[in-house]
Amino acid sequence: MKLFTKYNRISIAATIFTFVLGSIAFYFVLDYVLTRQLKETLRSEQFEIIHFVEEHHTLPEIQNTRHQWITVEKSTTILAKPLFKNAETFNPGENELESVKQLAFTIDVAGQHFLITVNKSKGETEDLLKLIILVTVGMIALILLFNFIINRKLVNRIWQPFYTTIDHIKTYHISNRQPLQLSNEPIEELNLLNESLNTMTQSIHQDYQALKSFTENASHEMQTPLAVIRSKTEMLLQENISEEAMKQIIGIEDGIQKLSRLHQSLLLLTKIENTQFTFNENVEMSELLSQKIEEKKELFESKHLTIEKNIQPFITLQFHQQLAEILINNLLSNTIRYTPENGIVTIELDEEKLMVRNTATENSLDVEKIFQRFYKAQQNQEGTGLGLAIVKEIGRIAGFQVQYLFHNQHHIFTIYFKQ
Amino acid sequence: MKLLIVEDELALKESLIEYLSASGYLCESAANFNEAVEKIELYDYDCIVLDIMLPGGSGLQILQYLKDNKKTDGVIIVSAKNALEDKIKGIELGADDYLTKPFHLSELSVRIAAIIRRKQFNGQSFIEHDFFYIDTIAKTVKVNNKILDLTQKEYQLLLFFIINKNRVLSKNAIAQHLWGDDMDYADNYDFLYTHIKNLRKKIINAGGDDCIKSMYREGYKMMLS
Repeated sequence: MKLFTKYNRISIAATIFTFVLGSIAFYFVLDYVLTRQLKETLRSEQFEIIHFVEEHHTLPEIQNTRHQWITVEKSTTILAKPLFKNAETFNPGENELESVKQLAFTIDVAGQHFLITVNKSKGETEDLLKLIILVTVGMIALILLFNFIINRKLVNRIWQPFYTTIDHIKTYHISNRQPLQLSNEPIEELNLLNESLNTMTQSIHQDYQALKSFTENASHEMQTPLAVIRSKTEMLLQENISEEAMKQIIGIEDGIQKLSRLHQSLLLLTKIENTQFTFNENVEMSELLSQKIEEKKELFESKHLTIEKNIQPFITLQFHQQLAEILINNLLSNTIRYTPENGIVTIELDEEKLMVRNTATENSLDVEKIFQRFYKAQQNQEGTGLGLAIVKEIGRIAGFQVQYLFHNQHHIFTIYFKQ
Repeated sequence: MKLLIVEDELALKESLIEYLSASGYLCESAANFNEAVEKIELYDYDCIVLDIMLPGGSGLQILQYLKDNKKTDGVIIVSAKNALEDKIKGIELGADDYLTKPFHLSELSVRIAAIIRRKQFNGQSFIEHDFFYIDTIAKTVKVNNKILDLTQKEYQLLLFFIINKNRVLSKNAIAQHLWGDDMDYADNYDFLYTHIKNLRKKIINAGGDDCIKSMYREGYKMMLS
């Protein structure tokens, strides 16, 4: 439920409740006032009659109107005081039964007691009440309607900056180079929200950058000691050493090589995430791909892999030369490493895509995990576990779609240049 | 040939000096920015091995200095940074090559030799050694005046061996030289063995000595006088 809807519901309920309560109170007050007024009229009629009798010692001539009439009858009892009551009685003026307010009193006219009843029709009062209630209900309806319209129009406009902010947050990504920069708003709450978000992303950003540069620096700092170790092992090799010692040293070298490659891959990933690359170079993909395959020819041959090439000539991409090289390198290295001996590798390039397919002995790789860092299908494999993560990352920043499929006992990696 | 080694890591500097001196270079060294600038001002070097991150300044500033003073010393950057821009920036500022740490000393040696060959305009593009005669421009190799029919990789391999002659070269170093940094097939070096076997055969067939010695198949050494 929207905040606005929730607010509206409460507001409407409160308005109706207030108005109903107010109307009921208003009704009783009005009823009381009108009844009092009715009684006043009846009482003044009584006084007029008493006054007339005192002066003339005879009953006045009775003038009945449509809404007020008087009945006179002889009576033997004497009422102690005048008596008000509500009754249904016949109205001779209108010729119908009507609800009235009555005032009955006895009067002594020349020794004869008369019971005089003054009737005043309540019809007028009731009409007035009805009208007032009608007006009230109408007003409630009108106020609700106006409220609704105003809210609709106004609230939407007032909340607009809020939705703008939400849109900004949705598109915000921590690896964007900028923290959020939300505008100043005249509405205090929205301004507070924006300012808080700005401050928050600012500090997140600083932490993130610090972490990044730490990763970068740490990796760099490790390269120098590695270089020392490597140079020392190389110097050691020059000594007159036994076969056993030689094997140990080569073992150290392998370790250095792996560690160094791991560092460089991690650094590259960080670099790709951190750097705004501009894709303004025309990269001759066909040429580059053929060249890279040629460079790795011996590696394909060493595993007796058959290469089936279907490379369309003159495919050029708006891309980044070095990233293109890394991308192709990683894909090819990956294929060479994981294709079983005597396998078949198919490499296709056209305007839409670059596809590398190779035969497989095992089952499908985990589609969810294959592009994750340090994912290895089998634990004892030689790769860094970062090659495909790098491919995916390059694809992401270049706007390519990188896809893995397993089909007919083949692993298929496809890079779609246009999404 | 005179080299200046600008490197602040003492242990690495020692190895560099030791290895390169044994290759016949006259090595001087500088451990920080000021020392490096001082030496460059005073002397001309055939090649400078330059670390980028130095105490007291950046190696890139040294490149700028060389450029501003129209010095023609060859420069190879050795940096812990494999950063794409750094590489490009360095080359733009006039560096001849760029090597990322950790590198093989044999690789560095081959790169330095290439820089020096390129820098010398007096026709020194030939390498003569024992029965080898290599034209590095035409990329042809003669053994006892007979042209060897080598593939590109075999040519690279031979040059690598000759420059690092009488050195034990690990299979890692050789493979990395031939197939670059992304070459990570440490589990299988058979293809390297095949390559070396072929090269050996070609040299012997052309009447050369069997000068490539296998060191327990973990490394190789070219024995030349």
